[in-house]
Amino acid sequence: MKIKTQGIACLLLLSTGLASGLAADGISGLTQAIDTPRPASGIADDLAILFDYRKEYRALSFGFQPSDRLEIGISFPTYDEAGGTTSGNDLSLGLQLLDEGAYLPGLTVGVVGFGDDDRGSGEYVLASKTFGAVQTSVGLGWGRYASENAAGRGDDDGVIRTDHLFQGDSEPFANIVWETGTYGLIATAEYSGVAGPEADDTFAASLSYPLVDGLVVTGLVNNQGSAGLRLRFEANPTRPFAQTDIGRGPHPYVENSPARASRPQPQAQQVFDVLKKRLESDDIRIRRFAMTDDTIDVTASSSQDPVFARISGRVARVLSAVAPANITTFRITQNTGAFDSNVVVLDRAGLDRAVGASDAAERAWEATTFEASPLNRPAALGEREFKPRFSYGLAPTFKADFIRSDRLELTGTLNANARYTFSPQTFVSGTVGYRFLNQWTQQDPPAEPQPRSDFTSYTPDLPYLQSLSLRHRFRLAPQLYSRVSAGLFERAYGGISGEVIWRDPEQNFALGLEGTYVQKRAYEGWFGFEDADASTVIGSLYANVGRNGDYIVLDAGQYIAGDFAVGLTAGRNFRNGWRISASTTWSEEENSPLKFGAAISIPLSWTSPDGGASTTNLSIGGQSGDFGSRVSGTGRLYDELRASDKRRIEDGFGEFWN
Amino acid sequence: MIKVVFSAGVMLALSGCAASLGQMRDAILNPNPEVAMTVPQVNRAAIEQADLAAVLMLSPSIGLGTVGIAIQLRDGRVVYNSNDNRGVTLEGGLIYSTLGLGTNLQAVTTQDNDPLVREAKAGEWPSQVTRTYYLSQRGPTFAEVTATCRNQVGRNLSIDVVGAQRRVVEVVETCETDTGDSFHNVHYLDAGTGRIWRSSQWTGPVQGNIQVDVIEPFETDG
Repeated sequence: MKIKTQGIACLLLLSTGLASGLAADGISGLTQAIDTPRPASGIADDLAILFDYRKEYRALSFGFQPSDRLEIGISFPTYDEAGGTTSGNDLSLGLQLLDEGAYLPGLTVGVVGFGDDDRGSGEYVLASKTFGAVQTSVGLGWGRYASENAAGRGDDDGVIRTDHLFQGDSEPFANIVWETGTYGLIATAEYSGVAGPEADDTFAASLSYPLVDGLVVTGLVNNQGSAGLRLRFEANPTRPFAQTDIGRGPHPYVENSPARASRPQPQAQQVFDVLKKRLESDDIRIRRFAMTDDTIDVTASSSQDPVFARISGRVARVLSAVAPANITTFRITQNTGAFDSNVVVLDRAGLDRAVGASDAAERAWEATTFEASPLNRPAALGEREFKPRFSYGLAPTFKADFIRSDRLELTGTLNANARYTFSPQTFVSGTVGYRFLNQWTQQDPPAEPQPRSDFTSYTPDLPYLQSLSLRHRFRLAPQLYSRVSAGLFERAYGGISGEVIWRDPEQNFALGLEGTYVQKRAYEGWFGFEDADASTVIGSLYANVGRNGDYIVLDAGQYIAGDFAVGLTAGRNFRNGWRISASTTWSEEENSPLKFGAAISIPLSWTSPDGGASTTNLSIGGQSGDFGSRVSGTGRLYDELRASDKRRIEDGFGEFWN
Repeated sequence: MIKVVFSAGVMLALSGCAASLGQMRDAILNPNPEVAMTVPQVNRAAIEQADLAAVLMLSPSIGLGTVGIAIQLRDGRVVYNSNDNRGVTLEGGLIYSTLGLGTNLQAVTTQDNDPLVREAKAGEWPSQVTRTYYLSQRGPTFAEVTATCRNQVGRNLSIDVVGAQRRVVEVVETCETDTGDSFHNVHYLDAGTGRIWRSSQWTGPVQGNIQVDVIEPFETDG
């Protein structure tokens, strides 16, 4: 019961957290006492989303620990100043250089607000020591840690500078954090040499209380007349709220043996019937079954299980028990909906040697190879003629984004979606939206339509046609995936788009190219166009790197404004379906600011045992502004193919026998 | 006077020790009163009549109990499986792996003279045993947790093991892992042979202890 409560609480947090995003503030996304930094307190893969609210500023920030020593933060603060506000978009890094020893303190260095010339920029060096439940830190800070308004550092009209780092005035700081052991309360006190409106030095205190596992609320106050609240959502994708493996177990694996060969052997239809029936209880659907010579070829999918390695393992387990003795190879095809993407080829003898061993998953992986699915396959059992279908739904979406080019605000939209699917490869879909949260005052259209910065010229307070487009996906060759789309892709653009991705299932990278021609949509009405067009040609490299599920996506080419731009997304995939990424785009246009975005995808199975394979997606920032911006809604193929990456399947192979 | 004080001290120490052992045992066998256990009715007579080797498996962390029947013998280990494919694999009395009882335990390797595997009377157990637990993580290589366990012999008593009275000796293992965590196992050994009739063993940091009651033991031919 407690587990479910936690899961529900987590989901509630995600929704309420977003809803309160406007009243939020997070300073850097790095671990801190109140306003002064402290060493990373977590472990690798820890994730935090912070909302900070004070009278003089608000901010939203993400923090992620790729390793035990390194923290990365992306934050979006908004400062109230006389007559208006200023917003920041900060990338921050904290690195623990030395661990605490028995007598020696730990040493941490950090850079906050990198690439930002606003007041968020700052650097620090700190030493820390833990005494039981008390952690103390002392350090020296520059920029924001030395002055209340340290503007003009780190950026010069779009050119990132580094000569300001650890330069200029500095001030000391110190903090002490005490885990009281009473109701999970954490008491914090800190000092910094930053002068404020009331005093030359700043003293602050806070008290934190865990509302539920993973959600901490903090009340804070300082001697400069400031007080506020901070909400911190903490999670670690590798440590689910819900215990795993509590559903049905897998069917027993039965090794092949010479004795089996002497018994009557089942026919293909018999094997298919048993396989289908047994896997139904595991929520695994068999779409195609073929048994030829020494091979069984199965196309399998699950609406509940996001780990294809586990699906493959469960299929192999049943096949091991029912397949004729002469079958030596199990081929399990992964289907993405539109494509048969991979064939996971399992050597039966290798699985026989692996099952039950203390390194069973490693041995199973050694018995596995990957192939591209053939373009055409002969008719097989289980195949059914596709029946066109109509589906529809209603869903609210929340997104923190830049409505105009320089201000982050939360938006809430109610979307009515409808889709008619002609075939697994082809569908037409449309979305009518109504923006119920944070509508804007409609501006007069500019003399010349702009790529993005004229967004507030669109009608804000009426239902609008967000998109209406036709999409067809097909393969040109076994390793060449393609798409054509036409229609209204997004609120601002409609046109035609084509894409090709090359991917070899054995490789850990793929290459893509998208070409799009669009016309600017009318500011009023649903179907009209403005007299402005644009074309984009963007090449992409998708690569899985390292052994931790890390990936990068590098985009380069001509963007909407006709500018040459390069986009970089770096992220981490987790075997249970979590995905965390950060992105930035650089444009050749010198005046375009470098902006950062972050996205998180959380599988519902992580928060509740009954969650299934669907996900909750959060995104903030990212593409915005006139430069370095591309057309959205065209249906980029990699979003569909990423789950088929060899590394994704390898990541999940520890679950092969589960 | 010195003798009195010494005796009192020894008695106090022993009673304290016994109390802590009892508390430890109770905490292990009834770890979380918030989680209601669902334990199936077991028809022992039917199991005996069918000559099936069977165990009752209890997972306190998820509040689930189920009966497994021996279905396979693989590398000297007996695979017990329930109707919904939950199960344990036992190597002697050692829980080698689990499925469907929480976060699965993939395997356990241990030293040659592990009394859980070799069936030894309580007084004949080695002073400590080292076992390595394998759990799935990212990628094909399992995570390893190595634990060193010291044992303590407790009471002689009679217990009900799924409807059968067994004369047993209680043994509590106190274990420390290489990651600095600690846990306890509780075993009830047949007073005469050392065979394990009931055992609650740690199976991983999330799943915690799994209890296995042997309804009918697996007997190899000959």
